Amino acid sequence: MTATDAADPAEDNRRLSKLCERFLGTVRHSIELGMRFENATRDGVTIRLVHNDNIVGNPWNGVVHGGPVLALLDQTGGLAVACKLYPHVDITPTLDLRIDHLRRPDPGVDFLAFAECYRLSSNVAFVRGCAYQSDRADPVSTFVATYMRLGLNKSMVRARP
Amino acid sequence: MTVSSRLIDVIAACRRIGNFDPLVDAIPYAKFLGMRCDIGYDGTVQFRLPVKQENIGNPTLPALHGGAIGGFMEHAAIIHLLATMDTPRMPKTVDLSIDYLRAGHYRDCHASCTVTRQGRRVANVMISCWQEDPAEPIAQARAHFLLAEPDSAVTCTRQ
Repeated sequence: MTATDAADPAEDNRRLSKLCERFLGTVRHSIELGMRFENATRDGVTIRLVHNDNIVGNPWNGVVHGGPVLALLDQTGGLAVACKLYPHVDITPTLDLRIDHLRRPDPGVDFLAFAECYRLSSNVAFVRGCAYQSDRADPVSTFVATYMRLGLNKSMVRARP
Repeated sequence: MTVSSRLIDVIAACRRIGNFDPLVDAIPYAKFLGMRCDIGYDGTVQFRLPVKQENIGNPTLPALHGGAIGGFMEHAAIIHLLATMDTPRMPKTVDLSIDYLRAGHYRDCHASCTVTRQGRRVANVMISCWQEDPAEPIAQARAHFLLAEPDSAVTCTRQ
């Protein structure tokens, strides 16, 4: 975190938005599911899941499957960690994720996911957030997750199959 | 014929022929993932997620998206419940907790499910997902599913 970022929050948010948008664009599965960047700040990231046929879990009533919501929340949580770390960069694979489906979503309506990294330790990032359709105060699903912080060099060693 | 009876028909047909691929193909998200069902030597349903470019999350490794692995495991549990229940009732996911243990390389995934407890309204399922060796899972999950009443299989379910 540099002094200029803190001095100019608007510029900081622009950089975070660019970071998230660029990163999301490289994640094939998220793009194929219909995820689009919405908003990013140090305090949290919002990603949209555009409604489409591929995410439907019940073709008879059009309700979305839990799987795409899980993918959306996992993705949004990872981006929230990246924003918290910026301009430092770590590879942050998901350690664990718990999702609670609070109510039945409205069929045919986009999802929005909000995630915040509320604690960053030297090894682990702690994230919480929710998926909603119109009102963040009335979430469809909530989640908590942890992500492992791997330095770039370390992660390259681990990356080899 | 009502809309809800069509879902029950698909489930009944799958159980009759002992192959749950028609149920996968009837669910757009499961079809998008490309998951398949095989019948094991012991007659239980085995789940497979063949490699597919659209499921990649990290293009440089390449690795599968954690969401694709989780979605595959969640749907495997749903089909497992539908395949083993006396009276099939559409499960809706209440919660799911997943531990990612190893990187999901760009290879086929397999999943197996164990029903830890099935009550009248709620089922608890453990799901294990592996690639090369069942003893080295890449992810493990447990989930609770609410089981809808048979005559309301569609109207009050999430799935």
